[in-house]
Amino acid sequence: MSEGYAVRNLGVRIGDQLIVDDVSFTLAPGEVFALAGASGAGKSMSAMTPFGLSAGVASGSAMLDGIELVGLSEHELSRIRAEKIGFVFQQPLTALTPHRTVRQHLQEAAMQAGGAKPDKAAMVVMLEAVGLSRPDERLAQYPHRLSGGERQRVLIAAALAHGPRYLVADEPVSALDAALRGEIMALLVRLCRERGMAMLLVSHDLAGIEHHADRLLLLESGRVAEAGPAPQIATLPATDYGKRLMAATPRLTEPLPSLPETGEVLLEVEAAHIHFPKPGWRRGRIDAVVDASLTLAKGETLALVGGSGSGKSTLGRAIAGLGPMASGIVRWQGETLPPRQRRNAGHRRLIQPVFQDPLASLDPRWNVADIILEPVRWLVPEDDQHERAKDLLEEVGLPRDFASRKPASLSGGQAQRVAIARALSADPEMLLLDEATSALDPLVADGVVALFGRLQRERGLSLLFITHDLALARRAAHRIAVMEAGRIVECAAREELFANPQAEATRRLIAASG
Amino acid sequence: MGRLISRRLLTAIPTLLAIIILSFVLMRVAPGGPFDGERPLAPEVRAALEAAYGLDKSLPEQVWLYLTRLAQGDFGPSMVYRDFTVGGLIAEALPVSLLIGGCALVLASLLGISTGLWAALRAGKWQDEVLMLGATLLTALPTFVTGPLLALIFGLWLGWLPVSGQNDGWNWLVLPVIALALPVTGAVAKLARAGLAGELGSDHIRAARARGIAPLTILRRHALRPALVPVASYLGPAAAALLTGAVVIETVFGLPGLGRYFVQGALNRDYPLVLGVVTLYAGLIILFNLFADLIYGWLDPRMREG
Repeated sequence: MSEGYAVRNLGVRIGDQLIVDDVSFTLAPGEVFALAGASGAGKSMSAMTPFGLSAGVASGSAMLDGIELVGLSEHELSRIRAEKIGFVFQQPLTALTPHRTVRQHLQEAAMQAGGAKPDKAAMVVMLEAVGLSRPDERLAQYPHRLSGGERQRVLIAAALAHGPRYLVADEPVSALDAALRGEIMALLVRLCRERGMAMLLVSHDLAGIEHHADRLLLLESGRVAEAGPAPQIATLPATDYGKRLMAATPRLTEPLPSLPETGEVLLEVEAAHIHFPKPGWRRGRIDAVVDASLTLAKGETLALVGGSGSGKSTLGRAIAGLGPMASGIVRWQGETLPPRQRRNAGHRRLIQPVFQDPLASLDPRWNVADIILEPVRWLVPEDDQHERAKDLLEEVGLPRDFASRKPASLSGGQAQRVAIARALSADPEMLLLDEATSALDPLVADGVVALFGRLQRERGLSLLFITHDLALARRAAHRIAVMEAGRIVECAAREELFANPQAEATRRLIAASG
Repeated sequence: MGRLISRRLLTAIPTLLAIIILSFVLMRVAPGGPFDGERPLAPEVRAALEAAYGLDKSLPEQVWLYLTRLAQGDFGPSMVYRDFTVGGLIAEALPVSLLIGGCALVLASLLGISTGLWAALRAGKWQDEVLMLGATLLTALPTFVTGPLLALIFGLWLGWLPVSGQNDGWNWLVLPVIALALPVTGAVAKLARAGLAGELGSDHIRAARARGIAPLTILRRHALRPALVPVASYLGPAAAALLTGAVVIETVFGLPGLGRYFVQGALNRDYPLVLGVVTLYAGLIILFNLFADLIYGWLDPRMREG
């Protein structure tokens, strides 16, 4: 009986559609092997289908420790999953059963292969191994009491509880806060090394896995693009696809790209405070933004970086007049902007937003031309409207005939370009980009970032670039402001920020992104 | 949990007060009164009657009087059934309604939940389609159609069961309970099916499958409780409605339940009787919504905080 996992000529079908075609790879005992590629490339399908955990049907061969998985019944696959493999999924928030405590999850996981019921001490050891603080208390807690990172640690502990030889991790860190991703990834790899487990890792983030995986396989549209040692594929890919993927992945080590010159200061925010009442019946308030001040010049990009909950989106929304601001001053070219309820069309024209989820920000019943022209519907003569919409489509790199389409027929990247065209139709001076590329596939996101750069050069736009991705901020922004717990803890030119980080939060972010 | 119960019971008091006062005023605003019969009463008789029932006092005074009596557990006298108190009428009729409604509630829950879950496990197959079509039909058919139909088939044609009134045995219960339970069964089945079918596609079920847990164990341990949350939220108010009497069923099957008094009381402008039934109904609604919330908390711990 041969140890290890060997996939030969794997195909995956959903209905009549061939999703994965002719994929082969091997996973040796104790090895960390990564499947990478753009979204829709078939990474998860290739990893999950042989184990019976996807909607697809597998063909070809997948041998696990000498057992052929393709063609096994669900009952037999279920036994193999229980005995040999631990699974870690992308969505830690929903992968735990809400009415079962951490203890119940660990007990079930430890007993899945017929093991004895673990006692409290054993479960505390399991939680300590995944770096969960106060494991004693956690055992009695329900999942909703834990943060996303804590839940992922519990899920990893559960995946390891029955002592599997293999770990299958499907985008294990992409739903987590940027600062946590490196830490959890390192934890997974360390646990594999310590216990001699092999890991099959699925990820779209080349930069996030290049130091962790031993070998890497790049998938393009369901087929193998290239495969080899991970550091080599991630940094010196041979294929055109690999090169594009690599170029689309910002890294802290890449040379600083040049950015356009900036002009005089347009926007000044002084001592902004934003707070919300606590939810429910509880007294007190949540201070979302505390004493935040910043400036933005003409043609400049300022990145607002921080973990989730740091207040960066709340601050951005308040500046654009989309959210409340308790106190503080927003000035535009020296003139104070009124609070959001009293901003008129002229004030609102200045700052236009682009949001994270492009499809959610477009009305599904409207066609693209109506969406784009909504801000200026009453200002543009009816005869010119269609030409105007088509010009804007062209400006954001979409075909002119998209004007009559509905949002449902657009891909994520196309929808985001429509949202950008809508922002441009008001002829703004500044764009508020709230995680505008983080829901997009790396290749598509890279194209959208390039579009922002071109618009900035052509129109002299100022950009407030809200992101959790420090490497992306370094690539795209003149200056970077780091937020933590509602405060701007540091704001500096990008060269200076990385050469000489002042705040503890900045140093942590740099370490986590490296 | 104790805090939730006490807080909810405390907020129930102003709610009940508001309902009573509003009903009181609305009834007086409606034209007609308890002593407007076919033959007009002599003015002095009418005045004496009104004085006896306190109707000559000002409206706020009457409300206050009613509330103080109610606080002592006295629903007052009926203005139409002259020799009876409202409390006495309710005490006589409520047990019948509770019995029929309680049986219908248990039947509808058991049958509805099991059918719904079974259909969800066969989602997309023909059994699912047939069952859900049946459930939709049940919810769409009003009891004044199903009641007489059942009585006709099983009472008159087949002669298996009595169609009217009570007897010493139990079989008089069968037809009214089934007729009352049918639409609720349909609604519960649809909710249970939707709940479980949605739950089976969720991430935590996939995670449990990945652990190789047996399908029945996954259902029992991971899927059932979250799947039943919508059923619980429907059954709270539905239980209150079932238990306080169904006027159509009581009329069709000739049963002396509470529902008839409610409708008769309203038609006769029997103010104390209507108020008594409204108060009881409101109290039960509040109570059963509280039960539903406690069940939510058990089904999903996230709802225990809020």
